[in-house]
Amino acid sequence: MRFRDLAFLVVSNLRRMKLRLALTSLGVVIGTSAIVLMVSLGIGLQANLTAELGDLGAATHITVMGGGGMPGVEFTSLNDEIVDEIAAIEHVEAVLPSVPVYLDKIEYKKYVLYSMPYGVNMEDFAKFGYEIEEGRLPRNDSEILLGAMLPASFSVASEDGMMMGPGSTVPELDLLGRRLEVATSIYPTEQEIEADPNAQPRQNKQKFTVVGILAPSDMMTDQSAYISMDAALDMNDTDRRKVTYEQLIVKADSVDSVTDIEKTIMDRGLYAYSSQSMLESLKSVFLIIQGVLGALGGIAMLVAALGIANTMTMSIYERTREIGIMKAVGASNRQIKRVFLGEAAIIGVLGGIGGLLFSGAGAALANLFVKAMLASQATSTGVASSDTASFFQIPVWLAIFAIVFAAGIGLLSGVLPAVRAANLDPLTALRHE
Amino acid sequence: MASAVEVFGLTREYIMGGEALTVLRGVDLTIPRGEIVCVMGPSGSGKSTLLNIVGGLDRPTSGSVVIEGEDLAGMDDERLATYRRRQVGFVFQSFNLIPTMTARRNVELPLVFAGASPEERAERAAAALASVGLAHRIDHRPTELSGGEQQRVAIARAVVNEPAIMLADEPTGNLDTRTGLEILELMREMNAAGRTLLITTHDRAIAESVADRIITIVDGSIENIEQGGTA
Repeated sequence: MRFRDLAFLVVSNLRRMKLRLALTSLGVVIGTSAIVLMVSLGIGLQANLTAELGDLGAATHITVMGGGGMPGVEFTSLNDEIVDEIAAIEHVEAVLPSVPVYLDKIEYKKYVLYSMPYGVNMEDFAKFGYEIEEGRLPRNDSEILLGAMLPASFSVASEDGMMMGPGSTVPELDLLGRRLEVATSIYPTEQEIEADPNAQPRQNKQKFTVVGILAPSDMMTDQSAYISMDAALDMNDTDRRKVTYEQLIVKADSVDSVTDIEKTIMDRGLYAYSSQSMLESLKSVFLIIQGVLGALGGIAMLVAALGIANTMTMSIYERTREIGIMKAVGASNRQIKRVFLGEAAIIGVLGGIGGLLFSGAGAALANLFVKAMLASQATSTGVASSDTASFFQIPVWLAIFAIVFAAGIGLLSGVLPAVRAANLDPLTALRHE
Repeated sequence: MASAVEVFGLTREYIMGGEALTVLRGVDLTIPRGEIVCVMGPSGSGKSTLLNIVGGLDRPTSGSVVIEGEDLAGMDDERLATYRRRQVGFVFQSFNLIPTMTARRNVELPLVFAGASPEERAERAAAALASVGLAHRIDHRPTELSGGEQQRVAIARAVVNEPAIMLADEPTGNLDTRTGLEILELMREMNAAGRTLLITTHDRAIAESVADRIITIVDGSIENIEQGGTA
């Protein structure tokens, strides 16, 4: 039997049971839609997540904190001893301790900025490979390096010193070579208050020359400024014998060693995180979500498969006499089987195409909805939403897979009825009313 | 003359409700090529069973059935299907056309399973339909045709594969006398082309009008073989 003739027989048989075909395919439509939507949500979430996590820092960076506030972890001060200890861990390429200056403000002419400068060792900083857009790294204690977003983050100070709020339109400032004034208030320590209950905070002010501006990298770095360690310690009036760091950034020699290094640091009683480990833990969460959703789709598909098997069995029963006729005029068992398998597969394919169209439309709608929500959120908070990728993504391979899968389900559901049809005794079939 | 059908010691038993029912008991029969043979007998005598076994739709319990030199006894389902496709054409009492297919499609069906090309198929089906006088009804469905026309379509379907043997089980049973005679006349024309014909009927007048030989079966055994009216 030629393929064309097989196709003709299959199609003309299916055309006789349009309603039943539609209802049976509907089951496959539901099953396919469920599975496609689930997989596409998984793909979309993962893509979004990976994009967002890029903002947390380069893939080889691990951020270490003192571990204070973490349940079951005692606060450990990050001092030079710990820095050396971490630097000695295998696969650690560099460690960057930093000291924040808890500042009042950074001023430039009538503009103000409320971003924290960090004191870092510039030699270590250089090892981390941050790209400099223009200028160079600071070489002395009165030079400052700005994160990529800072020149555009200034606002206009009002009379009472209050910030005008976000969006107060200040154009991106050309700051390279300009002098900024950094002001910080040092609050009296408990001992000082004991000695003099009226002790007032004193303000430290210092001018820094902008010598470099960083190229955009991660969110933290983009919004920070960097000065030399000594300058930061001076601003904070820190006793040089009691230097502790707020956080360390550790650079691993490769992405693969990040997890191990992180674990070693955590075992030491410190708190560490990396985009890598967050991605890992979120991935497992999404794997669970996808698993649950996939199981639901699987059940829908199973029910659809039973529906196809039922429809085929019914239609074979009704066409028993026809099968007898076909056998009498010389159809072999194999040819009969092929006709019915073809019908079952077509039900699957139609359902698969329907499911793909349905889930495609559903995904597009959901994406529009999510984007609209994010956009309205962005307007109310004033935070520009980053270019959010679609939450439901249906790549070509998923579309092809969906149709092939649905066809396979149809074919599989048709096997038993088709074999039954093929093995019918021709005489019995011919006598069937 | 070589034999088209050689049957020896043919027995057929059915198991009905746990009991063996013997439908054919040791039938011996030889039909020379090109002959028209009518098988007569009352209902349940086994004449249809004999026809079905010769046509490869049923299998003997014992005995040998050699058709055009091929022994059907040892054939599996697949070879039996091939045999039906190449060697025999069936005509049934109730026509057995597929109701959703046009006359053309019904006649083409054996060629479809034989894997003929669309062109060859269309040509042969049109020729077969023309030979039974239905060239003008080629695109009609069975429901749009009279009983006589439906049986003509069935005859066209039976001969479209150029089989050596045509088997007709009560071909006039569902037709009025005049139409029945027309159908028999048509079958005789098919026989004139060299085809062997095996027809079951319980109508003696029909048998006598068309047969070279008349075989009477009673209770599964051949009771009588006589020359037909045309011999």
